[in-house]
Amino acid sequence: MRVSADTARCEGHGLCEEVAPKVYELDDDAVVTVVHEEVPPELERLAEAGARVCPVAALKVIR
Amino acid sequence: MTRFRHQVASDVDLFSRALLEDPYPVLRELRDLGGAVYMRQHDFYVLTRYEDVRRADRDWQIFTSARGVALVPEINASQIGGVLASDGPEHDSLRAVLREQVSPRAINKLRGDIDRQAAELVDALIPLGTFDAVTQLAQRLPVQVVADLIGVPDEGREKLIPGADAAFASFGPLTPELQERLPYLVAFLDWIAEVGTRDRLRPGSWGAAVLDAVDEGRLPAEKAFPLMRAFLVAGMDTTVNGIASMLRVFAERPDVWEEVRNDPKLAGAAFEEALRLESPVQGFFRETTCDVEIDGTTVPAGSRVCLHFGAANRDERHFVDPDRFDLHRGSLDHLAFGNGVHGCAGQGLARLEARAIVLALTERVTTFELAGSPVRHYNPVIRGLQELPIAVTTRATAEGVRS
Repeated sequence: MRVSADTARCEGHGLCEEVAPKVYELDDDAVVTVVHEEVPPELERLAEAGARVCPVAALKVIR
Repeated sequence: MTRFRHQVASDVDLFSRALLEDPYPVLRELRDLGGAVYMRQHDFYVLTRYEDVRRADRDWQIFTSARGVALVPEINASQIGGVLASDGPEHDSLRAVLREQVSPRAINKLRGDIDRQAAELVDALIPLGTFDAVTQLAQRLPVQVVADLIGVPDEGREKLIPGADAAFASFGPLTPELQERLPYLVAFLDWIAEVGTRDRLRPGSWGAAVLDAVDEGRLPAEKAFPLMRAFLVAGMDTTVNGIASMLRVFAERPDVWEEVRNDPKLAGAAFEEALRLESPVQGFFRETTCDVEIDGTTVPAGSRVCLHFGAANRDERHFVDPDRFDLHRGSLDHLAFGNGVHGCAGQGLARLEARAIVLALTERVTTFELAGSPVRHYNPVIRGLQELPIAVTTRATAEGVRS
């Protein structure tokens, strides 16, 4: 499982990081980065939850 | 046996004053009736289930905003082409004008200043002992903060709350109540046209940034006032009512107040849960661009569809025990800010303002109680309070009583 982040759409609300800090980090400009290129199986559920709360739909789970 | 496509319909008037006193039992009936219910009064479909509302809000190609997000054609015609009532590249370019100003990365720098303003407001209220938490607190901070950010002068700001209230009311049916409010909307529009100019707006403000975008060719000149108005309106009743609903919970649930007071880090959770339970924007409209089937009902192309965020946020299919305020629910996926390309741009600012008020209160106030009955404010689209009488004591006043 991978997560693609549309950094042009990301506004830095930070909800993904709040829900899943092991998967999402906001850089110094408050733009999201996905920590793992391939999300480890044990983090998949968190990755999904984090993508789900993005208020501007900038995160997409790809299987 | 042949299964016929059925159209699930209701005769309820979703915007009537009587219903809006407590809409939740009816909204639950509508959720149970079907995924998409045709409302004979006012001729629209309503989506009330969490997954349906969320999916539709994210699918702007089928549920378009570009034909307006209000109920009636007269109002939609006036909205079309604005940031709320556009899709795709047109919408993105409008939203981009203030993206760098409104985004959390920018507004987090304002945190100290907003915290200070909230503290000043609360400091002035404490000596009173009792006050109206709507007009004296919840309305005050957003008016100050948002008007300062847009950069409009102090004089005339009293037009903001009634103007925004009327603007939101216009999303609903054309009623005598709306007629009564229109003068406030006109006064607000005239004021923006008067003060939204280079010589009146504070240099460096969001309003000035809108004019910069016009000068640099990123924004057509005729879109400048509508964009300033959109941000001003969006930043008023929404934040005001979200904060007031949260304060009402504090007053009615001493257990919640005590917990937040002992652990102010819960301020954010309290605000999110208040937004879920009493979503300030109860619903916005979309229009279907093609026939869509929802839960066995075909919603024809060209239908007005209400995305009922307030109903979706109490959907028992998604939230356990949805009518209960639960500080530890952790439901950041509520739909009070919408979701997707039209997701609320100012939600970070709303969170900062709410948090600032909670911090200011928890640092100073010991007891936070009702001092009278809360009064509901009637607006067909916005859910909020007219009055919230509150009595507070501080440690100092409590000791004063003892000595």
